[in-house]
Amino acid sequence: MATLVRDRAEVAQSVRDLIYRAGLLLDDERFRDWLALCAPDFVYRIKVFSPEINRDMTWFERDVPGMEATIDLLPRHNTDHGRLTRHATVYSVDLEGTDVASAVTSFVCYRTMLDGINSHMDSGETQLFAVGKYYDRISVAGDEPKFLERTVRLETRRMDKGSHYPV
Amino acid sequence: MAKTASEWSRRPNHQVMPYVDSRIYSDQEIFEEEIEKIWRRVWVVTVHESELPKPLDYRTLTIAREPVVIVRGPDDKIRAFLNVCPHRGNIIVRKPAGSLTVAEPSGNANHMTCMFHGWQFDAYGNCADIPRCKAGYQDRLSKKDVGLRELKCEVAYGGFVWVSLSDQVEPLQSFVGNAFDIMKEEIGTEPLEVFHYHKAFIASNYKLWHDTNSEFYHDYMHYFNRATSMMQPGYFDRRYTAYPNGHATVGSMEVKYEAYQGASSRILSFPGMPQNGWKMVDLFPGATYNIRGSSLRVDTMTPIGPNMVLIEFRGLGLKRDTAEEREQRIRDHNTIWGPFGRNLHEDLLGITGQGVAMRPGTQPRTILHGRFEDGTIHDEIGMRHYYEEWARRMERLPSDPMRRASGMAAE
Repeated sequence: MATLVRDRAEVAQSVRDLIYRAGLLLDDERFRDWLALCAPDFVYRIKVFSPEINRDMTWFERDVPGMEATIDLLPRHNTDHGRLTRHATVYSVDLEGTDVASAVTSFVCYRTMLDGINSHMDSGETQLFAVGKYYDRISVAGDEPKFLERTVRLETRRMDKGSHYPV
Repeated sequence: MAKTASEWSRRPNHQVMPYVDSRIYSDQEIFEEEIEKIWRRVWVVTVHESELPKPLDYRTLTIAREPVVIVRGPDDKIRAFLNVCPHRGNIIVRKPAGSLTVAEPSGNANHMTCMFHGWQFDAYGNCADIPRCKAGYQDRLSKKDVGLRELKCEVAYGGFVWVSLSDQVEPLQSFVGNAFDIMKEEIGTEPLEVFHYHKAFIASNYKLWHDTNSEFYHDYMHYFNRATSMMQPGYFDRRYTAYPNGHATVGSMEVKYEAYQGASSRILSFPGMPQNGWKMVDLFPGATYNIRGSSLRVDTMTPIGPNMVLIEFRGLGLKRDTAEEREQRIRDHNTIWGPFGRNLHEDLLGITGQGVAMRPGTQPRTILHGRFEDGTIHDEIGMRHYYEEWARRMERLPSDPMRRASGMAAE
């Protein structure tokens, strides 16, 4: 369905709303609700450039079925239960034709400790987990915008014990 | 039954129930001795040759607290040097990687330049320039007197750069022995290439990471491994083989990846490697080669203190991979490994917890290494074998490490 006749500002605002709504759902670990904001052929990637090996790396990549499996299996995995919280600012929204928008969002992701090290000492402490940018491609063809693709481009490369959660 | 303090601290009969004393993981004096007696004297696995593909490419790292720079020379030979200026002891090359063809603000292209006073060195370790040398040193010092300290360096076993701080170290082939026999074809048939690198600082002792790589009983921690391996035929037939100098290997099995929702059977492999096979080589004192079908993971460690270790993780495929093949290897690798993989995070949580429970100053306690299952996968022979070598080099009993035992061979 072709995009309704909307001015660019309206489309850009709907894209920003989508990105911020997605951030709230990720913060609340409502991962299934977050996936509901994505198109069926959505792909999620975490990428990093390594100056150490002079290569662009993909650290995580899932399509929708893969992300659903990852989410469903979280309770079966031992993990660090620190809550990730994102502070994001949408820097730019650009239209690619009439049906697709691309957006760049700068984010800082904090981890508020629960376990994972020594909960007596560390629970409740908030640490910087990662900084980077979201590069999103978003369908604006339908009534509601949907994520087509999210590339999390991390600046942070030392992840220490890492995480089982999407950033 | 829960224990009283005296019951809790009672040591088992070591002959019946092998164990180590937790102070080998937490005592500062023991750690300092390990740096001197082990890490300064052995071969250490460092970077991969594909990280320095062109002449004058370099990588920097640390071995036993010493800054090291590895450089591919104009003659294509890879050399290692202490990354320390002989003038006032500054570190010379500061970036983790790069090319000497790019000039630094204080020096010329094709040289390693100490930014402090502009002393320059070529990729052979020769001093190439000392600013105002004659004016300051007259005839008492010249460029030929102040070359870099070159370290023993060999490229071997899958194209990794092995370095030793000791000029007296035994030949690399003697140190490694036959430990790579199990993986000879996979890593030795054609060139490999690194596609993944990340690092972790973990507040735990380096040996605890090597212990984790040396025992598979902890597969209970990994849902992925329980589903795809422990519940599958052949898992309990995997065998450890111990080699001289503390190395050990773990034999292969057919991993059933599709038993984990969202994972699939491996399409790619390495020469001679079964498609869904899984082999490991654990190397004393702190490196592991781990091949799972389509990707090779190599862990290297830099001990920082008794309760801190830097672990570097690399993923490798074949240099001749097409773009599609490389993407597939990366996907396979990242399912379980990498900072967002399902297994690695769990493994690192495991040794983080050990680091908390055995941090310096905690009461000494026994750490059991006592599973005997005829050398198969849940046997703890890999750890016991490692600590025989540790005891030999440290002249201390792992079960009673504060008692020195000169000339000790093994427990």
